[in-house]
Amino acid sequence: MTADVTATLPPAISVAGLRRVYPVKPKPVTALDGIDLEVAPGEFFGLLGPNGAGKTTLIKILTTLLLPSAGKASIFGFDVATEAAKIRRIMNMVAGGEQSGYGILTVREQLWMFSQFYGLGSREGWRRVDELLDAVGLGDQRLQRVSTLSTGQRQKMNMARGLLNDPWILFLDEPTLGLDVSAARAVREMVLAWKGAVPGRTVLLTTHYMAEADELCERIAIVDHGKILAIGTPAELKRRVQRESVLRLEVNRLDGGPAVLAKLPGVVSAALAADNVEAGTEAQRVAVNLVLRDDNALTGVMAALGAAGSRVLGLRTSEPTLEDVFVELVGRGFADEADAEAANAGADHDHSHPTEDAER
Amino acid sequence: MTTPMTTPMTEPVYHPAFDGNGFDPARAEGAGLADTRRHMWTAVRLGWQVESNWTDPLLFFIYTVAKPVASLLLLVFMVQIVGGTGAAGEAVRTFVVLGSALWAMLMAGIAGPAWSVLDDRERYRMLKYLYVSPATFLLVLVGRGVSKLAVGAMGTVIALLFAVVVLGLRVDLAAVNWPMLVLTLLLGLPPILALGIGLAAICLQTRQESWSYPEAFAGALFLVSGVVFPLSILPAPVQVIGLINPVTWWVAGVRGAILPTGASSIGGASSLWTTLTGTQVPDGAMTIAVLLLTGAVSTLAATALFRVSERRARERGLLDLTTGS
Repeated sequence: MTADVTATLPPAISVAGLRRVYPVKPKPVTALDGIDLEVAPGEFFGLLGPNGAGKTTLIKILTTLLLPSAGKASIFGFDVATEAAKIRRIMNMVAGGEQSGYGILTVREQLWMFSQFYGLGSREGWRRVDELLDAVGLGDQRLQRVSTLSTGQRQKMNMARGLLNDPWILFLDEPTLGLDVSAARAVREMVLAWKGAVPGRTVLLTTHYMAEADELCERIAIVDHGKILAIGTPAELKRRVQRESVLRLEVNRLDGGPAVLAKLPGVVSAALAADNVEAGTEAQRVAVNLVLRDDNALTGVMAALGAAGSRVLGLRTSEPTLEDVFVELVGRGFADEADAEAANAGADHDHSHPTEDAER
Repeated sequence: MTTPMTTPMTEPVYHPAFDGNGFDPARAEGAGLADTRRHMWTAVRLGWQVESNWTDPLLFFIYTVAKPVASLLLLVFMVQIVGGTGAAGEAVRTFVVLGSALWAMLMAGIAGPAWSVLDDRERYRMLKYLYVSPATFLLVLVGRGVSKLAVGAMGTVIALLFAVVVLGLRVDLAAVNWPMLVLTLLLGLPPILALGIGLAAICLQTRQESWSYPEAFAGALFLVSGVVFPLSILPAPVQVIGLINPVTWWVAGVRGAILPTGASSIGGASSLWTTLTGTQVPDGAMTIAVLLLTGAVSTLAATALFRVSERRARERGLLDLTTGS
């Protein structure tokens, strides 16, 4: 499929004014509060937010598992409420952090069953299953019962199930939750390889792992309490919180010290880096932390250094993380959210969290 | 919060399995009847594998063979004590044995789809994946019910063989009305499964542990279906429930076909049936006709109930809600 053909497709995801309220006691929980979102075919899109933010609820609606309370959502032009059957043929879903599976079936049997539900012929189903088991690295476990698989192997099996029907769009709900480092990496690499094989394939990933979203997603929406707080590429999101450029500059000498640089136009601040303050300006290698109003100010800095006979040994930008973005937008970090939840759970001895419950 | 986990990735590794079929809009349309057949057959096969491919063959034996035989023996001994011996006692014993053997199949068919909902949602956690697959959810549950019904039928056959060989149940094969037997058996399957689907529709809504619901419902049905005693001994309002219940007519039809001269569970002196129709017992044609009618009504009602329940479950987020352990 060419990029041009992809461009003629309707949006992979189109969401307008989406609301979802769970009618739970003692009072209804609003999991989604007027979401607007559009994802183009071929995008790797991330929903980033803490537990209870509404990510899973949105995925449930988009995968036709749940109906919205209000608003519209469509997948490749098909309405999630009225054209669920069509959507189910062109999408698939994989969730993490769960021990799902018919434990008494073998890996091969379980996947074949699903291949049949996805409309593959019997022989074609077996062939596809074997092919995918090889692709996800479960070839040696194909005849093992599902109940005997490790968490990582089970998630690989789930990934194979998710790819059985060659979906146009793949929904990944916290796919690396609970996996160890190597298993998580294997899952991420697998998704990237699959997506990269055919232009136009779309992935919607929910995660509360900042680095995962940063690493995989072309665009990210930061979600909290059922609302999208910000949306953009990782770089764009980071720029929201960093309107100034932070650089670490290393030179062989700096006559006059950092104060010389601080006087230059566009330089907000210049200070010796903490790791060479002791050495002072007489050292052979001087590191300076520079904050510039924008990148253009760097030209003036370089010119001044050249005029002063300083030789640049290194220059490194220091970017904010997505966590910084989240903190800027919400006023707290993910860890703070988790801590608050734990404190609440301990305080009232109620281990359920309304929104989390609603999301499950 | 769980510790994040990223490490530098290697280049994604291409695999031929990742090649695709493109974005042909026809893929969203499906293959119609061929898909329906495939989904149904796969659901039956899945159900059979989940039922039979147990890690513990002893457990499978107990549920398939020992349980129906034990239930049979329990009732036979009770009849032996209450009904005594002689021709009358023999007739009662035969009535009870046949009804009890049939119950193994009925129970599996009626409770099967509901157990599938509970198993798949609470234990295997696969209900949501089945639901968002292109297979029609109702069809999947019917398929699962068929496989449970097949396992139950094995129990019925084994219980009947046990009754003939060990308990001395007299069945004259030459006297069996075979066309009636086959017709009744076949006509009874849709309403039995329909009752199961109706029960599954209810279990789809339950937010608490509801493993006991299917057995409780089937147990209640046991009392009003003429399985081990005739309807005439029940109060008139309860007899109404029995008469509009297709299981009653299915049991009566099968029993009448196997033992044409045996007692019927419908009709008799002071029964509501006799009061309403003026006849002692319904004949074969009447039994088939009412089975068809009550079966059609219950099938339509169960289908409608399931559609409403499925819609409500999707509205309320119940399809992947695990409420139990």
